[in-house]
Amino acid sequence: MTNSPERVEKRAIITACGVALWFVLVAARLVQLQVFKHRELKSEAIEQNRYIRDVWPTRGTITDRHGKLLARSLPFPSLFLAPEANESRESLSRKIKQVQQIIPLSAKEIQRVKNRVENGDRFIWIKRKIPWEYLEKLKQAEIPGVFLQTETKRFYPYGSYLAHVLGAVDIDDQGLGGIEYKYNQLLQGKKGRVLVRRDALRRKYDLEVLEPAIPGNDLVLTIDSTIQYIAERELERAVDENQASWGTVIVSHPPTGEILAMASYPDYDPNYYPPADPSAQINRAIQENFEPGSAFKIITAAAALESGKVNLRRIYDCSAGYVSIGGLAIRDHKRFNLLTFPEVFIHSSNVGTIQVAMELGEYYFFEMIRKFRFGEKTGIDLPGEEAGILRPPSSWTVHTLPHISVGYEISVTAVQLLQALNVLANRGDLVPPRVVRAINGPDGNKPASTPPSCRVLAAETAAYMIDAIFSKVVEEGTGTAARVLGFPAAGKTGTAQKFDPVTKSYSSSRHRAVFLGFIPVDNPRISIIVVIDEPKAGKYYGGDVAAPVFREIASRVLLYLRELPRVRAGKWVVASHQAQITREDNR
Amino acid sequence: MIRKKIPKAELWFILLSLGLGLACLTFYIWYQTELIRLGIEIRQAEERINRLEEEIKSLEAIRSSLLALDRVDKIAREKLNLKEPDQDQLVYEEMLQEVKK
Repeated sequence: MTNSPERVEKRAIITACGVALWFVLVAARLVQLQVFKHRELKSEAIEQNRYIRDVWPTRGTITDRHGKLLARSLPFPSLFLAPEANESRESLSRKIKQVQQIIPLSAKEIQRVKNRVENGDRFIWIKRKIPWEYLEKLKQAEIPGVFLQTETKRFYPYGSYLAHVLGAVDIDDQGLGGIEYKYNQLLQGKKGRVLVRRDALRRKYDLEVLEPAIPGNDLVLTIDSTIQYIAERELERAVDENQASWGTVIVSHPPTGEILAMASYPDYDPNYYPPADPSAQINRAIQENFEPGSAFKIITAAAALESGKVNLRRIYDCSAGYVSIGGLAIRDHKRFNLLTFPEVFIHSSNVGTIQVAMELGEYYFFEMIRKFRFGEKTGIDLPGEEAGILRPPSSWTVHTLPHISVGYEISVTAVQLLQALNVLANRGDLVPPRVVRAINGPDGNKPASTPPSCRVLAAETAAYMIDAIFSKVVEEGTGTAARVLGFPAAGKTGTAQKFDPVTKSYSSSRHRAVFLGFIPVDNPRISIIVVIDEPKAGKYYGGDVAAPVFREIASRVLLYLRELPRVRAGKWVVASHQAQITREDNR
Repeated sequence: MIRKKIPKAELWFILLSLGLGLACLTFYIWYQTELIRLGIEIRQAEERINRLEEEIKSLEAIRSSLLALDRVDKIAREKLNLKEPDQDQLVYEEMLQEVKK
């Protein structure tokens, strides 16, 4: 067989045509893929190799004034179900049962998942923020369609401690109360977005930040965790011992208005929010309006002295033991005879106080009460603060002035009373209270804004009130149970009968005991208010129930602050020089 | 059919060009692969750093809960039988030094 040129040419043409056809087919396929299916295939390719993910910033931490951790968000795994399209209900039920064998699910949770499956949802949370011990078992089980995602959960290392100030967060880490609610925007930061690129094996190899996540700011509180602990422990003890309904204590630093401790009892653990008893959530220090009783005589005394209408040498006849106003009799807690102006307040005589108040006149007294900022919020940086109730003089009756002068017909909050007391401690300056000391954010650390202070009383008036009246209340008056050995204190007791809405009269069996004071008198390091509601164990006077709590807290806090006694007292035992005792110090 | 003989120099040029092209292609593929491999390693290292940072935070939180004052107080009272001194039992080091002077 010979290869004639014609035959070779014919073969070459056939081969060339074959190759050309192959090229045409390939080109046609390329056109089909790259032109007609371009959009569809491009999005598929992009989906396979990259995706956009939301980046949730970690919620900021909350620390006390010394940097001790009070609240922090920690990673916790969450379990979700991603049903496949047209997946049968039986298959999904099987998966849920498999999960249930590993991690307990309540009937409510199962029902919720089933409802979401019925709705045809493609993303269903099974259980969020589950304990870490279940993680390994869940991973090993490899249940198809059931995945884990890491979220963060708020953790309060001290449990119920400081609960009312800190507040709590919901399942989505949104603040629900206290600082967590008030500073939610600052704490939560801002969500960001990243583009994640993956290889063929779906391993992430590149992250491109599309929108940077801004981490939440950290908050530094004015709270001192040691003082807070002392306050909470003593408050709990007092409420239990006196079988009281509730109690509250606030400890502040008068010159700055910084709250060092704020406790309410009963309390709750924010790690298990919401509490079984909703009333436990109430921050009694700022959210409870009450009639202050004799504790309000501080304002009456201040108004009397500041007005100049009161003759300090005048003797008040309190021998009757009661005073009748518009047919209503207001009595003293014990029989007095003749009392000087300071003695009226030292011994907390209602009869004497009313005589003083009657000299002032309604409008002047009202203006003075307003100067102390009663009837308005203090502006403390906590949510839900009550303003108290102070009616204008136009709606006062003949009873109102004498009633208010002894702490009735006016409602106040504990923090308002403490703010008023701090006016004396600061020798006439009103410094509003606050609980946030600094905000530490990505832009650096900055101190929290401090509300402006203002002068309410003349320094001489305040000094006279401290020296001649309120330090004597503790030395020889109704507040002797508040005495702290070696440290002169000033303060005022208060015992208020509670109004019974059923009988529409003041109850003779239900009382509220109050003591507020500051210590040491010469340079006040701390001021404290103690309110104990409805003590039922026999004693109910502020001097018997609340003043001892002041003494216990003050003595321990002054020791902690290494404050030296003004008066040398007692035996000699060497206390540590250092605030934090080390092993060497203990030798 | 007479086949045309390719000159040796031209053959070398073609082979060299092909070799160079192949080398460039190999380098490009190696470069891309290495880039992805390093990217994966960096991501893994970053994830590990994040995990460890979270672990440190968790441990700090656990330490805080272990050092909670009520817990320390309970241990001091119940296990170590310590109690707080009475007010009249206290004297301060500074005051003692003053007396010594």
